[in-house]
Amino acid sequence: MYRVDKNVYAYKCPKCGQLHYPAPMRCKKCGYRRYPEQEIEPNFQREGYKPWEKTPLKGSCKLLTYTRLWNLPIGFDQRYLDFGLVEFENGIRASGRLLVDKPKIGMKLNVRVGKIKEFYGKVCYGLQFVKS
Amino acid sequence: MKKKQLLKEKTSNGVRKVGVVGIGHTKFGNLSDYELVDIMAYASLNAMEDAGIDGGIDQVIVGNMGAGMLNHQTGIESALVSTLNLEPAMAELVSNGPASGSSAFKMGYMAIVSGMVDVVLVTAGEQMRRVTGWEATDFVATLSHPEVEYPYGLTLPAFAAMFTRAYMAKYGLTERQLSLIAVKDHLNAEKNPFAHVQLPVTMEGIADSCHASVVNSYVSEPLRLYHMCPVSDGASSVVMCAMDGAARFKKKPVRIAGIGSATDTHCVHNRKDPLDLKAVRLAAEMAYKMAGIGPQDISFAELHDAFVILELCLAEEVGFFEKGKAIEAAEKGETEVSGRLPINPSGGLKAKGHPVGATGISQIHELVKQLRSEAEKGRQVKNPKYGLAINFGGFGNNVVATILAKE
Ligand SMILES: [Zn+2]
Repeated sequence: MYRVDKNVYAYKCPKCGQLHYPAPMRCKKCGYRRYPEQEIEPNFQREGYKPWEKTPLKGSCKLLTYTRLWNLPIGFDQRYLDFGLVEFENGIRASGRLLVDKPKIGMKLNVRVGKIKEFYGKVCYGLQFVKS
Repeated sequence: MKKKQLLKEKTSNGVRKVGVVGIGHTKFGNLSDYELVDIMAYASLNAMEDAGIDGGIDQVIVGNMGAGMLNHQTGIESALVSTLNLEPAMAELVSNGPASGSSAFKMGYMAIVSGMVDVVLVTAGEQMRRVTGWEATDFVATLSHPEVEYPYGLTLPAFAAMFTRAYMAKYGLTERQLSLIAVKDHLNAEKNPFAHVQLPVTMEGIADSCHASVVNSYVSEPLRLYHMCPVSDGASSVVMCAMDGAARFKKKPVRIAGIGSATDTHCVHNRKDPLDLKAVRLAAEMAYKMAGIGPQDISFAELHDAFVILELCLAEEVGFFEKGKAIEAAEKGETEVSGRLPINPSGGLKAKGHPVGATGISQIHELVKQLRSEAEKGRQVKNPKYGLAINFGGFGNNVVATILAKE
């Protein structure tokens, strides 16, 4: 619920190269398992296991659709928030905050990571889509 | 049950036949002064009364999404059995977000088909008005992905709005056309005594007059207040039984002809086509196949229009209309109660209300009522044979389709 990492990553399957966002526990293309980065069982990383590669989501993307939300859930005190659904050049899609004045479907955007929420003193970071 | 009798009541594929013999419903609206379990008990007793029984329930299945969060109460299935004095009936809770009701119904069907039980009471309820609107919105948003959707402040209305924007760009649908669906739903709900909002709404009031944007302001652009359901409390209940034992009940059973369900990606962004509601299509196809019929055989439908755009898109995904064409049929009046294919004669989620976990059974309640020709004057569909319900969980990531048939 609270992402404190200042990067947002896509995860690459080490066996077939398929990109995923967010990280699954199993590759959607070849079924290769992903083990968590922290130990959750004794000897949890199996022999021969190749860890998944993390690539920060960055660069330019295309706006697929968007909205301005006026009815916010508890925990947000802004008047409204803008959201967009984008597609990156590597085919990965993501939802995030839209920070442009006049959004238009199909427009080119850039992505950055910024503060999206502050709750009980914790800052949460996430994707922000800005003018390219 | 005698073995010979059982064999007689099996369908051609060898599956035991199941019917609905009793239905109950509370008024939908603000019931925050009552206890959730009492609301569910009220609907349950109405269903049992309708079936003409005061016991003999083998299994109770409760459909609910959020009692743990909204009511700070767990174990509501056991609490319900106890307040109804139905012990030692078996009891379980089934949860599938806003499709919890239909999933509970599906589990009841499976329990009877398996031969383990003969009579099942399925009761679904939700109480969303005890918390503030901000908390209720947040509660429903917890259905979204906890890492890449929820923390952003994305809500179900926001997902529906982004979907609507993309649909408008592709098919040319307008905000005004969305309001037409709302007007039709309110017209039906006005005649439904269980509906949350029994108010007539006009195009002038919500779209055409210069004051319309004040009455009907944006919730998530391009969706306005009248393009989405209210936040409701309420419960609905059905008594289901094996058809071989149905004769002992007061009313003729309505047969469960087909059930299907399917899932789709948790994250909305991971769907190949953001406008493709694949789980709806797959669930409907499965239900049609089981019933041995197609979309052309359906007499009327209750479609999960938490957002009016969904009434159009679900109608397209289940095969009633081509993609992008549902609005034309609505404009011609085909989906009105008196039309060729009435959609949401109950008023739909839009106007009847949407106590999330209760909605699925409320839809089944409406199918039974219509197929028995018991609906109120002005909203009874003419000679219906098959009714279809689509209950939509998440933003389309877990969908249940149910087809009931007049025997
Ligand atoms: Zn792979």
